Amino acid sequence: MAGAKEVTVVTYRGIFQEVEEALGMYSDGYRDQSAIVSLDGGDIKELGVEDGQPVILETGSGKVVVAAKLSEDPHPGLAFMPSSPWSAQLVSGEVEESGFLDLKSFMAKVSLSPAKEAVTSIEEIAERIKAP
Amino acid sequence: MAFCTGCSLLCDDIEVDFEGGKIGRTMNLCRKGRGHYDSLCVDRLAPTVDGSEVGIDDAVSKAAEVLAGAENLLLFGWGNSTLAAQKVGVEMAKKLGCVIDDPSSYSQGLITETILKGELPTCTFDDVRNFADVSIYWGDDPSSSHPRHLSRFSYFPRGEKRQRGYEEDREAIVIDVRKSPTAEIAADGFFKIPPGGDGDFMGALMATLGGKIPKVEDKKKMLNLGTKLRKSKFGVIFTGLGLAHSVKGELDEFVSLVGKLNELTRFSVIPSLGDYNTRGFNQTLFDETGHVDRVSFKDGVNHGPEFGIAKYLDACDAVMVVGSDPAAVLPASLARKLAKIPMVAVNSHRTFTTDAAKVTVPIAVAGLEAGGSALRTDGVKVEFDAVVKSDYLPDVEVIERIMEAV
Repeated sequence: MAGAKEVTVVTYRGIFQEVEEALGMYSDGYRDQSAIVSLDGGDIKELGVEDGQPVILETGSGKVVVAAKLSEDPHPGLAFMPSSPWSAQLVSGEVEESGFLDLKSFMAKVSLSPAKEAVTSIEEIAERIKAP
Repeated sequence: MAFCTGCSLLCDDIEVDFEGGKIGRTMNLCRKGRGHYDSLCVDRLAPTVDGSEVGIDDAVSKAAEVLAGAENLLLFGWGNSTLAAQKVGVEMAKKLGCVIDDPSSYSQGLITETILKGELPTCTFDDVRNFADVSIYWGDDPSSSHPRHLSRFSYFPRGEKRQRGYEEDREAIVIDVRKSPTAEIAADGFFKIPPGGDGDFMGALMATLGGKIPKVEDKKKMLNLGTKLRKSKFGVIFTGLGLAHSVKGELDEFVSLVGKLNELTRFSVIPSLGDYNTRGFNQTLFDETGHVDRVSFKDGVNHGPEFGIAKYLDACDAVMVVGSDPAAVLPASLARKLAKIPMVAVNSHRTFTTDAAKVTVPIAVAGLEAGGSALRTDGVKVEFDAVVKSDYLPDVEVIERIMEAV
């Protein structure tokens, strides 16, 4: 399907994100460093996405809109995303028999936002968590 | 000199000037550390009950009420707490006969526990700086998570037997799925693996060290790595979340690999732990129970996956979170479960977790507003003093007051 692709998302911690987190999770700076997904050059072209454009990331566990970022290095089929409340929306809460919880990688569908939705706000994620 | 509790390196050479209660000029802080210092004046937590601000005494009383009324209580967090607070936390878990756990149950707890049991050799950062000629960063990106790791200890500095530093005396190897900032520094020493490919990489390296031809695409590079490791005098493997999540609680292959390296030369392991005193909590609980996390004191000492936060949320009817933000980290479905449980949150700052808590109790920032002690991620104990006056109570005092009130 044009404009959509399955990718393996791997999460990581970035120093700029950690700085913004220390200065307040509800800040624009934290959102700008966290609500992003780095995509391979070929994949981003295939999706018809431009650097910085909002894309939808969706798994069986949830959905968020984040900004696409063009990676300098090639990594087809792989996407990298800072570990944050945005990535946590997409991770399965299924706990393995050993009790281990894999927060590091998951499969997700990345697609263009047809309605040009804005990046999901941290306030919306907080509301989702507190919803009855 | 001041300490930085921004990460588990606990840098002890910080100079700081305060200008009207705010951080002014600083020396030796990394970017992350400066953010940690600047946070002193941002988003501080207030004492609240059901979202309304109250006095600290009322918040403590209400917190005790929530804990006292629980049959299946979970005490969680502790990585950003002083050793004294952690000790009181473990005492509280014993006294109340409840479950105690920390984020290591979904990160590097198994690696730390294996080290504490003596099944993986370890060393201090001072040993690394003075003697290590090979640093392997496995699923670990300290340039982002522990920014002064390479400059103070593991790659750039001159040491007793490493006078030429990184130019001639040290090798950096990075094994990761992503070309991280640390991988950029390692340049040719970067081994890119697919997600979950750590086990295959260990197998190939074991084969290489055993004199066999590895089953990998770039055989020459792997053989060169084997030669480099065999020839090294003292190597250290720094483990990160990438490795911990890839092996999914199965550490046998990694232990075998480190054993094999120690047949050929000398190798140690140091985990790069996240919060400033994760190692302290793991050690404190280990000394008491023989386990670093996921312990229940309900009927004696019991340990198992059912007592990790991920599973215990189904059973518990109250939770106290100290110095941690699980609501921001856990998968959304688990964060929602957590938010529905009556919760007491003890923290210096406002977080996702404090926003979802029934009761919040603020504390001072350790290392800046309060003194105490902690274990660096290599297990070395450090003691620090307060460097600025504060009205916030130290964490140990708050936990003690809650325990007394319970």
